[in-house]
Amino acid sequence: MGGDGKKWGVFLLPALATLSFVFIAPICILIVLSFYQMTGPAVVGDEASLSNYVQFFSDPFYLRILWNTFTLGGLVVLFCLIIGYPVSYFLARSNSRWRGFLLFLVVSPLLVSAVVRNIGWFPILSNSGLVNWLLLESSIISKPIPLISNFTGVIIGLVHALLPFMILTLTTVIQRIEPELEDAAASLGAGPVTVFTQVLLPLSIPGAIGGSLLVFTMAIAAFTTPVIMGGNRVLVMATYIGQQFRTVLDYAIGATAAAILLILVGLLTVVASKLGARKVEAM
Amino acid sequence: MGNVVLRAVLIGAFLFLLAPIAMVVVSSFNGVGVFAFPPQQFTTRWYREIDPGYYSALYVSLVVATVTSIIATIVSVPAALALARGGFPGRNLLSSLCLSPLMVPALVTGVALFQFSLLFWDVFKVTLGGTITGLVIGHLTFAIPFGVRAVLASHTRYDLSIEEAAESLGARPLQTFFQVTLPILKPGIVSGAVFSFLISLDEVPIALFMGGGSATTLPVKIFTAIEISFGGDILAVSSIIVAISVVAMLILDRFVGLERLFMSKQ
Repeated sequence: MGGDGKKWGVFLLPALATLSFVFIAPICILIVLSFYQMTGPAVVGDEASLSNYVQFFSDPFYLRILWNTFTLGGLVVLFCLIIGYPVSYFLARSNSRWRGFLLFLVVSPLLVSAVVRNIGWFPILSNSGLVNWLLLESSIISKPIPLISNFTGVIIGLVHALLPFMILTLTTVIQRIEPELEDAAASLGAGPVTVFTQVLLPLSIPGAIGGSLLVFTMAIAAFTTPVIMGGNRVLVMATYIGQQFRTVLDYAIGATAAAILLILVGLLTVVASKLGARKVEAM
Repeated sequence: MGNVVLRAVLIGAFLFLLAPIAMVVVSSFNGVGVFAFPPQQFTTRWYREIDPGYYSALYVSLVVATVTSIIATIVSVPAALALARGGFPGRNLLSSLCLSPLMVPALVTGVALFQFSLLFWDVFKVTLGGTITGLVIGHLTFAIPFGVRAVLASHTRYDLSIEEAAESLGARPLQTFFQVTLPILKPGIVSGAVFSFLISLDEVPIALFMGGGSATTLPVKIFTAIEISFGGDILAVSSIIVAISVVAMLILDRFVGLERLFMSKQ
């Protein structure tokens, strides 16, 4: 098979050469850079050490960023599960003639640019926007609540961006559970709530964990939405990295943060695929 | 009772999914400040005030997306065939290597490419950042893996005996490749290319760090404009993008199937 291997190797060469140039070399440079220190704006010294990493995992400032990042990911997953479950249940079980159209509606936001979708939230969530207008008109609140350009805004934006992925994953998970099991439980006298908590939920947990890991990973890796919806004020890993390279110009610590995010996301992706999550695309 | 609750949740969820997209279009005609609700005066003023820069950014986006998906297709089809058929050692490793960029956040790839282009200039005095070439280089990082994966997926159902039949009927290897292999793999190749094209049009972090000046893509142009000031013209541009997306969506749903595009088969 040696000769055969060489023949196929030639076909693989263009892709490998291109990826080495456009991807592997840059990532290696970034990782090397993460071991150096800044000596001036956009200038990096020439002594390698682990000090950036030590600083990142000991300085409360950076630990706070890590904490914010995990909190963000966790909350986004939670809301995606809460909204996604009933929708997926309907899509998986319904024979309605609307089913195909609704599935189309679930996926369709993914084809509209992320930047544009984020912009659409401003007329809805800003102080003079739709939600605050409704709440003020109905006298539930007396002054507008800030819903955008803060942490809340980032959560809303990311839940909106990632909900379709959660719904697609959960729908296939629920489809694999036989509806007869629910019918059997119901015929034995279980109410809808009991059927859900005792039958559907336990059976769908493995798939739901896979989907949740996927959404969590995409949430902490996202950059565009946290920047726009957070109004450049919310500090999570992604926004911090962006700042270091765009405005602060501390390339070295920015590279360290990027390397940490890279490892974190890589590990989570591997775990998610080991759990058998179906691969869904991130935008 | 349970049914009513389920229905209410469903309506709520779909309103949530579609609201921002609908609001982009509604607000772009709002004469009294684009964030104010309810809209009061109908105006087309924002559309007339669109900066010509957005049109040139759209042009840059289209050029980058087209060139990227063409190069990616040319490179990834043979690679996927080699990975699917070649019995060489280390095939699994090479396959994960080809798909590895998809596991890396685009932001990390973006900043890595940014550093790479600085170093490239230091060493070779060649500018990559802020050029169309740089943008294409950046977008190849995800376009090649998308292409490889799409072709690999469509190859799992491939029946090699069809090629043997063609050859036993006297077809030369190249003839077999162009008249048998490629047509059978076409759906996979097309969906890989379409997907790369769409992501390239939409992608921000890589294009932000590799672009600049005249090589600024449309989403990056909007992204940086919002950071400075947020006006009606941005909503007008955005609702034009929504209109184009809806048309593209309907076409894609007809020919590729939207659900299939976002869910790769195992």
